[in-house]
Amino acid sequence: MAGRPEGGATDALPTAHKSAAGGMNRALRLIARRALASIPVLLIVVVLTFLLLETAAGDAVDAYLLSIGGGDASVAQSLRAAYGLDQSMPARLWLYLSSLARLDLGWSVAFDRPVRDLIVERLPNTLLLMGSATALSFGLGSALGILAGARPGSFRDRALSTVSLVLYAIPSFWLGLVLSIVFAVQLRWLPTSGIETIASGRTGLARAVDIAVHLALPVGTLALIYMALFLRVMRAGMAEVWGMDFVLFARSKGLSRMRIVLRHVARNALLPLVTMLGLQAAAMLGGSVVIESIFAIPGFGRLAQEAVSGRDTALLTGIIVTSAVLVIAVNLLVDIVYALLDPRVGATERGA
Amino acid sequence: MLTAIPTRRTFLQAGAALLASTALPTLARAQAASAGGRLIVAADSEPKNLNPAIVASNGVFFVASKVIEPLAEASFEGKDGLSPRLATAWEGSEDGLSVTFKLRAGVTWHDGKPFTSADVAFSALSVWKPLQNLGRIVFANLETVETPDAATAVFRFSKPTPLQLIRNALPVVSSVIPKHLYEGTDIAANPANVQLVGTGPFRFAEYKPGEYYRLTRNDAYWGKPQPNLDEIVFRVLPDRAGAGAALEAEEIQLAAFSAVPLTDLDRISRVPGIKVITKGYEALTYQLVVEINHRRKELADLKVRQAIAHAIDRKFVVDTIFLGYAAASTGPVPKNAPEFYDADVPTYDFDVAKANALLDEAGYAKDADGKRFSLKLRPAPYFNETRQFGDYLRQALAAVGIDAEIVNADSAAHQKAVYTDHDFDLAVAPPVFRGDPAISTTILVQSGIPAGVGFSNQGGYANAELDAVIAKAAETIDTARRTELYRQFQKLVAADLPLINVAEWGFITVARDSVLNVASNPRWAVSNWADTALQG
Amino acid sequence: MRTMRRLLATPEGAVGLALLACLALVALFAPVLSPGDPLRIAGRALTTPFSDPAFPLGTDRLGRDVLAGLIHGARTSLAVGLAAAAAALAMGLCVGLAAGFAGGLLDEALMRMVDAFQIVPGFLLALAFVSVVGPSVPVVVLAIALGAWADPARLTRAQVLSVRERDYVAAARVAGMHPVEIAVREILPNVLPPVLALSAIIVAAAILTEAALSFLGLGDPNVVTWGSMIAEGRNVLRSSPWLSIFPGIALVLTVVGVYLLGEGLTRALSGRRAAA
Repeated sequence: MAGRPEGGATDALPTAHKSAAGGMNRALRLIARRALASIPVLLIVVVLTFLLLETAAGDAVDAYLLSIGGGDASVAQSLRAAYGLDQSMPARLWLYLSSLARLDLGWSVAFDRPVRDLIVERLPNTLLLMGSATALSFGLGSALGILAGARPGSFRDRALSTVSLVLYAIPSFWLGLVLSIVFAVQLRWLPTSGIETIASGRTGLARAVDIAVHLALPVGTLALIYMALFLRVMRAGMAEVWGMDFVLFARSKGLSRMRIVLRHVARNALLPLVTMLGLQAAAMLGGSVVIESIFAIPGFGRLAQEAVSGRDTALLTGIIVTSAVLVIAVNLLVDIVYALLDPRVGATERGA
Repeated sequence: MLTAIPTRRTFLQAGAALLASTALPTLARAQAASAGGRLIVAADSEPKNLNPAIVASNGVFFVASKVIEPLAEASFEGKDGLSPRLATAWEGSEDGLSVTFKLRAGVTWHDGKPFTSADVAFSALSVWKPLQNLGRIVFANLETVETPDAATAVFRFSKPTPLQLIRNALPVVSSVIPKHLYEGTDIAANPANVQLVGTGPFRFAEYKPGEYYRLTRNDAYWGKPQPNLDEIVFRVLPDRAGAGAALEAEEIQLAAFSAVPLTDLDRISRVPGIKVITKGYEALTYQLVVEINHRRKELADLKVRQAIAHAIDRKFVVDTIFLGYAAASTGPVPKNAPEFYDADVPTYDFDVAKANALLDEAGYAKDADGKRFSLKLRPAPYFNETRQFGDYLRQALAAVGIDAEIVNADSAAHQKAVYTDHDFDLAVAPPVFRGDPAISTTILVQSGIPAGVGFSNQGGYANAELDAVIAKAAETIDTARRTELYRQFQKLVAADLPLINVAEWGFITVARDSVLNVASNPRWAVSNWADTALQG
Repeated sequence: MRTMRRLLATPEGAVGLALLACLALVALFAPVLSPGDPLRIAGRALTTPFSDPAFPLGTDRLGRDVLAGLIHGARTSLAVGLAAAAAALAMGLCVGLAAGFAGGLLDEALMRMVDAFQIVPGFLLALAFVSVVGPSVPVVVLAIALGAWADPARLTRAQVLSVRERDYVAAARVAGMHPVEIAVREILPNVLPPVLALSAIIVAAAILTEAALSFLGLGDPNVVTWGSMIAEGRNVLRSSPWLSIFPGIALVLTVVGVYLLGEGLTRALSGRRAAA
């Protein structure tokens, strides 16, 4: 939802793709270097998140007392003492950072459970949702992008471009609500919400199918929107590659159009798409908040909402740090894939 | 129904139900026999602490009341509006210094241990009085609980405490928890606060955060052969549009607490197989109230407050915001509490001309733009209706020349701003009337409450006469005299307007037709559902 | 002007510009087209569209005029989008210029800051920020900008790095120009075009983000935006779908317009670069 920037950073990803022949060692070194470089970045993220919640009106105890219908000042006082909220801000920040250094994400006041447990519990659902949506939109988007870009300016191109643009402009929550009314309430093909049939006792394959059926609508909603994005990037990339020398050369050699499209044009246009994947990772994680709320999926986005409304500093920081680590990991992966895909050794130019 | 397809299980249960209908006259009167089954219900929140003995709130009761029972439950037909649960009889002493409870025999906890007076004594002294949000008010003067035998508990108070108050509070404040699991532990952090153990018709089976709570039938329930259902599942649906869709798609069978938005009721009531039920919330009346910060000099002027009261069109509020599912308020006690309600109080008709005249009289003339003064208005975020009323109030005030700026905040920030920081001029609040004015109503206008107490008078209002009436009523043993004092209380509040009562509402339940015995008592949504059944 | 002509020559640019021009006119003349407070309760609640000439598009839950809401919503939605993009670009330009021009430790520190904002999901950040500070138009604008300034910062820095060693910049330095003056007078004009092309996407994203925040109940209650109209309408989506369809269409048209304009702009600019 937030930020669907296209193009954008030209050096967002350091230069892993410079060599296609990335040996095991090099990959490991890359990972190690990245991990080291991301420490200060993560530190900034943690401190800023902490400070943000610090400025909030009302703390975790206010939020908790509200949820129980009120309580007097002495209860609030004793609760604050119990959760260490009565200490000074720097003291709490230091406490948090030092426990984070021991990979301890702290204690969630809102849920009264370790933050790590909560994250481990919710993350798989979000990963499943985002992973399937990404795979689907990437596959469909690039395929349709190839269709559209095979003949730039054709009717098919224009139709696909227009539809994708409109899809892209529809707010995801609106699309989600409408799809749910049509497919879940009217046609009853799919369940309205949830991640699986509650307390059904299904296991193995039956459970996997059940989850897939439940995820169809939320994944479909997200995929439709991101598909539009990938389609447009793919199409634009192909349109650009058509004009390049090696394509002109291939055409002059009399290669079939189909062959040119797939072997030369599409392959080169795929690179910016992969870059886009890395750039969009953060935005897609953010976009899951609304979809998870509409489809009642107990995932990361909803957990974040609950953390904010419960003024749960440790939990929200934990969520944001985990998302940040995820985004870093995705970008690392993208770099490795990029290096494998890029046929030009030492290429400096990367269309975006 | 008995005509169900006779699988082995339904056959057995139908047999049990048949037995029941001959054994229990109340059940014979009930709508139909049951076939067991699983009832799936929408839940919109997941309380962190599910222990109703500590957290006496409707969000907790919704789930927990099926597992943990109070001494008595509210009732449409019982004496004093109560029907016995874990207590079978109660009696107050002449001097108001003690109340004796006779407890039900043959009750066991879900873990098999017997329920005794020791559990009641422990709950009262170690939980209700020191830890519970409402119990600390009701049991403020509780000194000891004597247990002469396993079936008797005698509550002894240091100051006279009206039996009327205790009685009215019983359904809300008296959830009994097992002493053997809590004694000697950190009660607030006990794992049994989530994995509940009680005496109720259902056992707590499972909680999957973000997904559902599952309760299963307690075969050893003292009210055998109830419960009728095999299982209750509370399915978490955080999105407000979710419950209606899930009901229509037959994924859930019941949505209580107006989980289906009021605006959708008209449409959904016409969907075949779905019924809309407005009963069952009579003892859970919510009040729509305009809280006033009397520290603002304009609002400290009674004329201004009267003008605001006249500027509000209660009919519009009831008809348009609540779509008729509410009633206009006259004062701080709702009509649903006939024991206390007094209609003979000063009233404020919708009259813009009069409101303008009062404001002129008070010396706040309109400026060139037609504005008299500006206010900060904070609508509580908890309900669609409180927010919408905020939008309406801004317009209603504009019509009399008061410029209100709405400040929205989420729950925690609203709570802090209004009840701790007093950073508001007007606020819209939805307090609950809990059966007796002394439980959570007088606190809304009483002076001397420290900052930080939610749902209390944080507007800096002080009225010695009103305080005196409240104090007197709190220690008056005689029911008739106490009731009279509360009638006086209503007159004083309506006359001096420490706050403005606008409307009062109960919630709406939407259920599939197959759910039987819905709304069988005035606190139905938060009662034990032992008699609730599924057809077919 | 050349850019403008090129822009109009592309179909994307022409359509986008036309759409946005209409919207801008509506937004500008909102007080004339629909005088008074659009949140005023004007008539019977839930009048269906095209049934009452006084309310051509019907009324909402409280009896507020939907058409008035759309007209005034154009104002706030566009204003929020533009303001957020402007704030993001301003922040991005400043940080990018400073980092690219200063280099060294400052560059390093600033870029780590940019990294930090880039790896945090922007919507999560906006959600947390608005819930914590409280919803009002400036806060929403700032929240959206906070999630969007990292891209322009990066782009600016990259551009600065690429032009900084060019002759005229080196000449200015030799001539003893103050670094800030060089940044503003020599580098900024070169950096601006590509960054501006990015801005269309930021505006579109900002409008969508505002709508999503309103949907979650985090919009400013004192003004009407399309997002808040959709959010209000969703409760009656089944019985009165028009309440969310009309603002939905307006939103989609705007985002499409902004997006097309951005694409046209990119093409016009790349054409210019190719021609240069």
